[in-house]
Amino acid sequence: MDPTRQMIDQGLLVVGIAAYVTAALLLFGYFLLRSAAMRTIGIPLAILGCLAQFAELGARWWMTGVWPLTNLYGSLSLFSAVAVAIFLIFAFRYDLAFAGGPVLAIAAVALGYATTWNEGYMPAVPALQSYWIKIHVPIVITAYASFMVAFCVALVFLLKAYAEQRYATRPPNVRGVAATPGGPAVDLTVSAYAARPALGMPRGLRNDTPATAQAAAAGDAFAQWLDGLPTLARLDVMQYRIVAVGLPLLSLGIITGAMWAKEAWGAYWQWDPKETAALISWIVYAAYMHLHTRPEWRGVKTAWVGVLGFASIVFCYLGVNIWISGLHSYKM
Amino acid sequence: MAESRAARAAVPAGARNGALRAWDDAVRLFAHVPFGVSLLAVWAFLTLIGVVIEQGRDPSFYAGAYAPPIARLIVRLDLDNIYHSPAYIIVLGLIICSMAAATFTKVIPRRIPRLNPVKIDAIPLHATLRVPGEADAVRERVGAFFAERGWQVRKRAFGGTEWTFADKSNWARRGVLIAHVGFVLIAAGTTIYWAKGYSGQFAVLSGQTATIPQSGTKVDLERFGYRIDPVRTKAGVVYQPIDYVSDVKVTGADGAARQAVIRVNHPYDANGTLIYQSTYGFAIDFRLTKNGAPVAGPDHPLKEGEGFTVDGTARSIQYQRFVGTIDRATGMPGADPRPNDPGVIIVAYDGNRPIGQALMPLGRPIDLGAGYRLEAARYVLYSGFQYRYDPGIPVVGIGAFVLLAGLCISLYWVPARLFVLVRDAGAGASEVGLAATTVKGYDVFEDRFAELVDALRRGTERSDPRPVQGAPHASPV
Repeated sequence: MDPTRQMIDQGLLVVGIAAYVTAALLLFGYFLLRSAAMRTIGIPLAILGCLAQFAELGARWWMTGVWPLTNLYGSLSLFSAVAVAIFLIFAFRYDLAFAGGPVLAIAAVALGYATTWNEGYMPAVPALQSYWIKIHVPIVITAYASFMVAFCVALVFLLKAYAEQRYATRPPNVRGVAATPGGPAVDLTVSAYAARPALGMPRGLRNDTPATAQAAAAGDAFAQWLDGLPTLARLDVMQYRIVAVGLPLLSLGIITGAMWAKEAWGAYWQWDPKETAALISWIVYAAYMHLHTRPEWRGVKTAWVGVLGFASIVFCYLGVNIWISGLHSYKM
Repeated sequence: MAESRAARAAVPAGARNGALRAWDDAVRLFAHVPFGVSLLAVWAFLTLIGVVIEQGRDPSFYAGAYAPPIARLIVRLDLDNIYHSPAYIIVLGLIICSMAAATFTKVIPRRIPRLNPVKIDAIPLHATLRVPGEADAVRERVGAFFAERGWQVRKRAFGGTEWTFADKSNWARRGVLIAHVGFVLIAAGTTIYWAKGYSGQFAVLSGQTATIPQSGTKVDLERFGYRIDPVRTKAGVVYQPIDYVSDVKVTGADGAARQAVIRVNHPYDANGTLIYQSTYGFAIDFRLTKNGAPVAGPDHPLKEGEGFTVDGTARSIQYQRFVGTIDRATGMPGADPRPNDPGVIIVAYDGNRPIGQALMPLGRPIDLGAGYRLEAARYVLYSGFQYRYDPGIPVVGIGAFVLLAGLCISLYWVPARLFVLVRDAGAGASEVGLAATTVKGYDVFEDRFAELVDALRRGTERSDPRPVQGAPHASPV
């Protein structure tokens, strides 16, 4: 490839990484400080990084004629770009900007790590010379990216749930009035829910504790910060909705992978480490969906299952590719 | 029939009740979601073992790779072939039982509440609107509002009070049932393969013929070609395989011969048995002499891993691997796998004990001692094929898409019911109380309910041109 084209490629890559890192810092700032300005700058930067990445992948394809997802560099690039795209869609639809920090940070790390696998431009090995690569890989990567965004929401959920639990379990003399000597008195008998809209307060998620709201009203800065996050019920629904994007895609990815495997290797299922690791992830998220039907499991427990699910995705995506050899061990 | 009745009568009623109770307990246990999820966890764990421990190797491999107690455990517990072990199959069977129990006792009978009056304020998703107009007119408008948005509206009177009920996506309750049916179909398709299918692999040298034993199909390899290109990367030159192609003549059981080209991702269908390009290699024609005179050596070109015993000795020679290019400077295997200056690596054994290995260039004999000389005379390309006949594939395919459809239905459509009560609020206005319930809890419907309430408020305000006495009040409580 000529130097001009290589420069375009590298330039877009640098723009992508720089935009992600800056957006991650700004959105972490928004998360911590609730500064609307940080959000106002962070979101467009995330959009810029995402566009630069898609442009870089497109340019690679256009300039080399080789589908860019035949190695770990290409797939990790797509992973971070799609994760940011999914985050942006949910940010606009469900006001998810507070989770942007971790999403953008992971996207930046994934893209940075991807560059270490960038060997240049190589034609695909025979097993990858199939139209299925244009169907199967993007679907699977989009599923992984969804789970990454869901994981970030689960982290916020767990942070809030455990922090609220601390307020709820503090002895009465250290919460509310006593937490802020000299502050206004707080009526501990009044439920914080009384002042909130009653839409959606299921049994399983009633750990938005009155204690946090009371401590916030009494001037506790951390409680005020915590109280500004979406309710646990809402965080749980967001995680559920994002997993609901990822699980059908993962299922479709496994199905298209099986169809491709039948064409390439003769059997739709060969118990290859990659296949079985994907199956494990599928089982974990299927378990998540089943547990989510139970009010007593919905909330902290399902959030942890979501974390476990993403750990299984990381193992399936990177662990198997790098450490375990099998039919999916192409030149990375 | 009469016999069975008599037999039933002979069973004491207490025992029958006990058996029925045990059956009910078992069904309840299997239908319990946490139990089903526990089975999924066990399934995931067993599958993970199969990922971490390499499957289908000889016991000697595990003895070499793991500490002796762990190696013994792996072999004895079938962890080396876990996906076909009894434990794995039993867990899958239990999962299917669990799905069946949950489907028939929970999923199918699951109903959203009946069309009965409810205490609206007691339902978490509820709202009250004050809208202008008489109660009957408002009721009509509210009914029309929901009907326009695709809700199935029904009205019922209870003790002189008229209730409006609106349902949406009620059919989607069957999504979970459909997903479970898909899973069972996949299991059924897999079972069909185990019962009736077959698979295998074979390697055939250029110009020779191989036969698939189960179908009698003959495969003549007329020519095998490969393409490996040097590609310059950041790390240096890499030799990248680009294509493997086998030109074959396939003769079916009916005797009809057909020319075919088989390459990776392009299998050949021989009357339902699919033949796939799998591997290739270089078979070597070894020639053995003793004191210059030919002696009995291998009677056919050897493929990688094959060997022969030197007649009259305890020694044997194994052809380990082909070297495309011997680096002239170092005399060691070069990076280029293409046969430019080829050679082979052989390993010599005394009994089962390896006594040495050597890289021998093609066409140049080496001395084995005791007057024996071995020459790798020439290489012959061979092509490796896999074949498979799987009559279960259509069932598995249908099952996969049914599973996916069920997943999508159950995840993206929320069966919901609205309970609406319109009451006269005096002063020419009415109070509309509405509550929503779904089969998936309330949180998941919260946004849509809020949007619906908002739209209803705007819709009812707009559609009544009469002057309003007092400010309209909408309060999603």
